[in-house]
Amino acid sequence: MHISFLIHNAYGIGGTNRTTYNLATALADQHDVEIVSVFRHRDAPVFAPDPRIRLRSLVDLRADGPDRGHGELARPARIFPRAEGRYQQYSLLTDRRIGEHLASTEADVVVATRPGLNVHLARQIRRGPLRVGQEHLTLESHSKALRLVLRGAYPDLDAFTTTTEADAGAYRARMRLPGVRVEALPNPVPAPALAPADGSARWVVAAGRLAPVKRYDLLVTAFDRVRTERPDWRLRIYGGGEQGDELRTLVDRLGLYNHVYLMGPAHPIEPEWVKGSIAAVTSRTESFGMTIVEAMRCGLPVVSTDCPHGPREIIRDGVDGRLVEPGSADSVARGLLELIDDGALRRRMAAAALRNAARFDPSRIAERYESLFLSTAPRGIRRRATLHRARVTLLGGAQAALDAGRGALRKGRPA
Amino acid sequence: MMTEAPGAGRERIAAPLRADCVADSAGGLTFDIGGTDDPGPAHLLLRRRDGDEIALPLTPAEGGRLRAALPSSVDLPEGRWDAYAQFAEGTPRHLTPGCNDLRSLVDRAPGETAPRIAVRIPYPTRQGTLAVRSWLRAPHAEAGELRIGEGELRVRGRMYGTGLAEDAYAEVRERGGPRSVLRADVSGSAADFGFTVPYAPLAPGIWDLWLRPAGEQGPRVRLARLLDDVADKKPVFRYPRAAVRAEHGAVEAWPYYTVDNDLSVTVSATDRPA
Repeated sequence: MHISFLIHNAYGIGGTNRTTYNLATALADQHDVEIVSVFRHRDAPVFAPDPRIRLRSLVDLRADGPDRGHGELARPARIFPRAEGRYQQYSLLTDRRIGEHLASTEADVVVATRPGLNVHLARQIRRGPLRVGQEHLTLESHSKALRLVLRGAYPDLDAFTTTTEADAGAYRARMRLPGVRVEALPNPVPAPALAPADGSARWVVAAGRLAPVKRYDLLVTAFDRVRTERPDWRLRIYGGGEQGDELRTLVDRLGLYNHVYLMGPAHPIEPEWVKGSIAAVTSRTESFGMTIVEAMRCGLPVVSTDCPHGPREIIRDGVDGRLVEPGSADSVARGLLELIDDGALRRRMAAAALRNAARFDPSRIAERYESLFLSTAPRGIRRRATLHRARVTLLGGAQAALDAGRGALRKGRPA
Repeated sequence: MMTEAPGAGRERIAAPLRADCVADSAGGLTFDIGGTDDPGPAHLLLRRRDGDEIALPLTPAEGGRLRAALPSSVDLPEGRWDAYAQFAEGTPRHLTPGCNDLRSLVDRAPGETAPRIAVRIPYPTRQGTLAVRSWLRAPHAEAGELRIGEGELRVRGRMYGTGLAEDAYAEVRERGGPRSVLRADVSGSAADFGFTVPYAPLAPGIWDLWLRPAGEQGPRVRLARLLDDVADKKPVFRYPRAAVRAEHGAVEAWPYYTVDNDLSVTVSATDRPA
């Protein structure tokens, strides 16, 4: 199949980019994959794409880019919904370029990656390709005005994916989407490039934006209780953000400056996870819970609040991690101390976390996307998909024959 | 954050090579570089800002990668060393940090009798390139927990490479200016030591902390925090400010780690009357 992703800006950072690159790379094993970025603001993307993936942009806003200062940039968008968070960045020019792209694409499947682009996909795609919309946040996180627009547009999609079952349920229950296949497909998280944690370090690790929704104040307060019982354990919080100063003040006020460290942002984060033996998530909500999966893939059991939506769909409570009461520092402290005090339990959970998180491997998530595409697609696309697979196999075989031939030649040559 | 190197032209300059580093608990480092396609004889070059240079051979490792080792036994003088890969006689190419596995450094606990402490921590420079920060100390006084008390700082630490004599003491030395030196008694057993710095006698300015493990006759050892994975301690290891009615007026005082991760105290006059 020829699969085309439509994304806001594939050259920057951010969760949707990371997820899309991971998924696209896994799909590229079997399919012809391109990523079409609405915007381009720098020469090279922050996440270097797999060489098999074609990357292009529709509006080039680099300093010397051809669209810098284009007249239509200043004129408001009509297709991209006003109620969408990114509306200010969109324009008549993006309306037109996205429209031209969707009207002429030769892809079998087009996957759009945010509400505004899902609306473009529903409204402007030519007849033929499979239309797949993705929700990377949640229905609940959108304004009433945006939900109204989406309700009007999404019935024209063929399939729609959310990152959790809870959100898929919300879409099925609250949006009338007859004939649209709504499915929960979690974010892919690749296996880390380094050996998992061995469970011996006396460190709890947390990572994320220092934003109020993450409730790191709760984690720091909980750690005050942990410190009283286990002063040999310490906490590292990785990430930057608006709450840094507030958290610093809290750490000082509680006298935790020898136990709790605000580490600043870290990229990549995997080498930091493996320095700990327990991961902590204290969020008020998590639309998916990418850090939970990342930590588990690094061999850490996660103590997480049982908040909506993702954590309880990732963690099996008491098996590969611990779910605790949202908003309760006591509950967080008890969860941490349970794993701190019982080394055998901690190691058992760590092993289970490593095993269970393998279901988020990009290859496994790509397979689920593939079967979604195949079961939703009209017959023509399905036949092309089979042919493409056959061609990949054939090419693989031809390459093997060629390599064998080269080997023979080399052998025949005098040393 | 990630930004492009200033002036990096498109396609004109060879792409920087990515290096993955692994640290061992003795202070040794291994560098792995990928994507070089059999470049012939190659070296990993460490170049200090003053021009000093060390070349380590890059040899083929698994997966078509090249590997260089900097064992703890090889001296790397203190300083910041930029890392490059050099192929044959070509221009050295900058390395960018990939995946740095520094877990063995996190709670490093060398033997107290280690004659010298060698620390090398790879880190990303502000330009996004790979550098290695090195310390080499013999003897070494490692700063541990700091406690901010009522108008005082209580320091705990551990001595490496020499014992603590009966008459060991700590020095609080004013940086610049008239250079007053205050003494603090050191308590402790074996290698672990502790002392208290009262803030009241300190004039506004910066005060450096030193240990005299063998009393007046022996060496003067700068207190530093070196034995972990954090290349730059100052933004991570932070401590509350104490408001003090000092001998010189109302001041605020707090400990901090210098750019070299040595321990000092800042004393700053406040507007409020003493």
